[in-house]
Amino acid sequence: MSKTWERAVPVYDVPIWTRTFKVLCGLAALGMILVVYREIAGLGPASGMNDAYAWGIWKTFNTMVLTALGSGAFAIGIAAWIFNKSKLHVVMRTAVLSSFLAYAFGLCMLGVDVGRPWNFYWILFPWHWNLHSPLLEVAVCMTFYASIPLFLENIPPVLDFFYGERPDLRESIKKLEKVIVAGFPWVVALAYVLPAMHQSSLGALMLLGGVRVSPLWQTPFLPLLYVWAAAFLGFAFVTMILLLGWLVWNRAIDMEILSELQRICMWLVGVWLVFRVVDLSVRGQILAAFRFNFDAFLFWVEMGVLAVAFFKLRTSVQLQSPRTMFYSAVLTCVGGMLYRFDPTTAAFSPKLEAAYFPSVIEVLVSVGFMSLGILIFIFAAKVLPILPGSNALAREAEAERAKNPVLRFLAPKAGQQQFVTGD
Amino acid sequence: MDITRREVLHQIAVGGAGVAAGGAISAVALTEVAHAEEGGVPPEAVGMLYDATKCIGCQTCVVACTAANGLTPDTRYDALHQTPGDLNNHTKTIIKLYKEVDGKETSFVKQQCMHCLEPACVAACMFGGLKKDATTGIVSWRGKYCVGCRYCQVACPYNVPKFRWEGFNPEIVKCEFCKERLAKGQEPACTTVCPKKAVIFGKREDLLKEAKQRIAANPGKYYEDRVFGEKEAGGTQVFYLSHVPFDKILPEPGDESVPGKYLKWQKRLYSYLVVPAGLYAVLVGSIRKNWKGHEEHMEHEEKETGLRAQL
Amino acid sequence: MSNSVKSEATIQAHLEAAGVSRRDFLRLCSIIVATAPAGMALTKASSVAEVAEKIGKARRPSVIWLHMQDCTGCTETLLRTSAPDAASLILDVISLDYHETLMAASGAQADAALKKAMKENAGKYVLVVEGAIPTKLDGRYYEFGGRPGIDVLKEAAANSAAVVSIGSCASWGGVPSADPNPTGAVGVDQVIKDKPVVNVPGCPPNPYNLLAVVLEYVVMGKLPQLDDSSRPLFGYERVIHENCPRRAHFDAGRFVNAFGDEGHRKGWCLYKMGCKGPVTHASCSTRPFNEVPNCWPIGLGIPCLGCTEKNVLWKIPTVETVPIHLVTPPDQYPSVFAPIGKVGVGAAALVGVAVGALGGAALAAGKKLPDEPPAANEKQSGSEKR
Repeated sequence: MSKTWERAVPVYDVPIWTRTFKVLCGLAALGMILVVYREIAGLGPASGMNDAYAWGIWKTFNTMVLTALGSGAFAIGIAAWIFNKSKLHVVMRTAVLSSFLAYAFGLCMLGVDVGRPWNFYWILFPWHWNLHSPLLEVAVCMTFYASIPLFLENIPPVLDFFYGERPDLRESIKKLEKVIVAGFPWVVALAYVLPAMHQSSLGALMLLGGVRVSPLWQTPFLPLLYVWAAAFLGFAFVTMILLLGWLVWNRAIDMEILSELQRICMWLVGVWLVFRVVDLSVRGQILAAFRFNFDAFLFWVEMGVLAVAFFKLRTSVQLQSPRTMFYSAVLTCVGGMLYRFDPTTAAFSPKLEAAYFPSVIEVLVSVGFMSLGILIFIFAAKVLPILPGSNALAREAEAERAKNPVLRFLAPKAGQQQFVTGD
Repeated sequence: MDITRREVLHQIAVGGAGVAAGGAISAVALTEVAHAEEGGVPPEAVGMLYDATKCIGCQTCVVACTAANGLTPDTRYDALHQTPGDLNNHTKTIIKLYKEVDGKETSFVKQQCMHCLEPACVAACMFGGLKKDATTGIVSWRGKYCVGCRYCQVACPYNVPKFRWEGFNPEIVKCEFCKERLAKGQEPACTTVCPKKAVIFGKREDLLKEAKQRIAANPGKYYEDRVFGEKEAGGTQVFYLSHVPFDKILPEPGDESVPGKYLKWQKRLYSYLVVPAGLYAVLVGSIRKNWKGHEEHMEHEEKETGLRAQL
Repeated sequence: MSNSVKSEATIQAHLEAAGVSRRDFLRLCSIIVATAPAGMALTKASSVAEVAEKIGKARRPSVIWLHMQDCTGCTETLLRTSAPDAASLILDVISLDYHETLMAASGAQADAALKKAMKENAGKYVLVVEGAIPTKLDGRYYEFGGRPGIDVLKEAAANSAAVVSIGSCASWGGVPSADPNPTGAVGVDQVIKDKPVVNVPGCPPNPYNLLAVVLEYVVMGKLPQLDDSSRPLFGYERVIHENCPRRAHFDAGRFVNAFGDEGHRKGWCLYKMGCKGPVTHASCSTRPFNEVPNCWPIGLGIPCLGCTEKNVLWKIPTVETVPIHLVTPPDQYPSVFAPIGKVGVGAAALVGVAVGALGGAALAAGKKLPDEPPAANEKQSGSEKR
């Protein structure tokens, strides 16, 4: 089977300013305007949060759930670099960029959600840290991770871009790449240790919820289940993005690599499901799943979706069917997201007669940040070499870019730039 | 790339080494987890004892608390009267009514911060915005360090900390035992004004004794002949005596303190960051080893295809 | 005792003869109805006119009033009505055949008057007793014409149709029975056991409570509904606290802390000053004395002493506060698990639409993907896949 995915190639043949892009920009702008409103008017008017449900969807969804989707860099990275599955290297850039955007906007959302963000500077004074707080671990670790290792992992495509567009900078770029190579193991190992820590700490957050979190979710192994879920969510989300590349941008798919991703994902989901059931039975909560209440309903939806996902993951590899792969990836994402979200809000009962639902503004801000992340990904995928493609495609891209460089409106270097009218 | 036996052995070695290292380090770390580090009673621990059988629901404590703490009365639901529906950012203590449907079993309950011995809110707060005084045990809020993340609200099993949701400079509001009055040698406002002495102030140990004496002197009067707060959530500094079941008037969080369980594990896994550091060392070694193979492969590809290797 | 007409005549006839206006009589009847809107057959589901008719047709009752260890306060309360005609009106409705304070006779003539009244109305008169009954020294702490008062009482009760104890002293011993009770003072019902005794306690009691009891017996032939202590329910069913005009202050936590303070001047609740309202059954809060509104202790800023209650007056110190458990709290308190938060319909719709749209998009996207693996290097369905 010849490989279809050999290197990262920009989506050079699709214009950036499409209708979808415009819609995403609109949603993002709306979200940002509403953020300003939230800053002025306060959290109460801008959201549906109240004293019983003090965490709405911003922290729990945009930060706790979406960064799990953004765990591709962590999970696929470990598979590629630690377990030496070298064919996965070519999808690393997709994983790493989507992870970075998920984290960046997850952290921005956190900044919007907290009521007194001006006091966040205490994060720079370790002697003021409360080491007992899982949220501190999350804040410190996630910020450090997103701003250093994960950020650095995203530099190579940018360097590739400037290598192509600015030949005058090629020497400096080569020197920089040598530095990157030297520091690579040190930075990348950090990029695996840190997410392991904070993804599990995200689970530990709800340990402090105590008996208010439904016993179908509350377990001392919540951190482990959370980080394991982050792993399979990372795989599933990247798989989904890659398949969307086929749908939206006509990019060929490499069944071999996708099968590998699906197999690993299936294994992760399967073990997770078994562990969850074992955990429930050891804690004596199996019967709780058969009560007639909302918590049990949520549990069955979650487990049902993931069980179906597991079987679909299996058959997709057997049948080598892209459609089944897509469905199984989507189902895995949905099930995993439900799992990470439920104990924070849906299965969290602070007291009787307390209700919470996000307000319209809250939803729009959340959607705004997601749109912002998606549109930046789209922009980057079109400009930088991110999505995997074949070598032949890479050559076509180079030729096209040589004719119509992206940075053609910067100061032209002699003989390098040509003015081309239109797109 | 086909997997060679060597690679399989290498992977097992890496995995095994990681697990062994983690296990060894954890074993070392575990030996440190012998004693309970939190949860002891502060030396001058103050407390309150609330006897629901004496409370007449006059709500003078609510009024006095608002006045003593400089809060504006909550008149949102009734312009002429202070009628908070629950604790909130205007209301640090409140009297609530438990009433059976047929009206036969009723009890008032005064709710406010319990000043737990091992507070979940203090464990939750990132930069120590909520701090438990080491001497008196009073849990108080320090705005200087508060980020407004509201994790304390999620953590508190009694739903005590309340947030000001309007405006751009929110705060966490909760009972702080009238620290200023205590400093002046006075008692908290609520205990001072109670006409029936249903809520009284004193040293925690004295109040516990008093509560037990009341139980002994009136067998059968108090629910299950026990004091709420002696053990609940690791113990609190506010005690409750009641003639109705406790779960009707207060949330019942169980005996173990909320942070207790996970603090043990946190210590085991993160003590001096030994486990993460060990894991890091193992991963660096593994990546370096795999990098060599990857680098060779990249050079080979670059030569063959003529396209620049991608990092 | 200004009756010149024989007591056999109907009340109506007597009133007409006495020149009492119909309006004054109706006014009295309306007060009776207000005093006992329930608990009496006389006033049950009856308008004032109907009550007036029933009373008018009845025979004018003979009442013999005995004073025992009393202060005459109960008599005074009957007479100290603010409208002077009302007092004489009461005395026109009933035939007070013996009353030591009001009659002209004294000494042996009084003795003879009692014997005559008892003989003429034997079996028909209502015996009203005012004052406690001393029992020590064979009852000789009070002597009536040389005989122990207790014997006179027993004799009078034997010939009576009904016995009514007016005032706390007659009901349960009152002032004379306070610690150390040197005379062994007890209530009438401790002495008279073979006849039904109605207690109308109070120090003094509301005179209309007495009049209502007497009229009910005389007009309807039976006693009003009584509680466990033989007190008429219409007057003694509720505690003062349930109907207190200062209750709103109690509920809102506004209390008098010292006599003369701001709260006292504003008329706030006297609970902390030792008001016994919560444990005292009486009608003072709803039926004013002397027809003057607010003419009662709490109305005047004095905490209720609990003068109707045997276990309160002279037993619980005046400054001591009393428990209020038996009162069912109103619903205005927030409930323990108060409701908070709501589900916004608009937001729910928005989220529902968004989730639905995304789900639909995912399904549609999946359908577009091939079900078969694309062959290598060949066209991947439709347009060129690169």
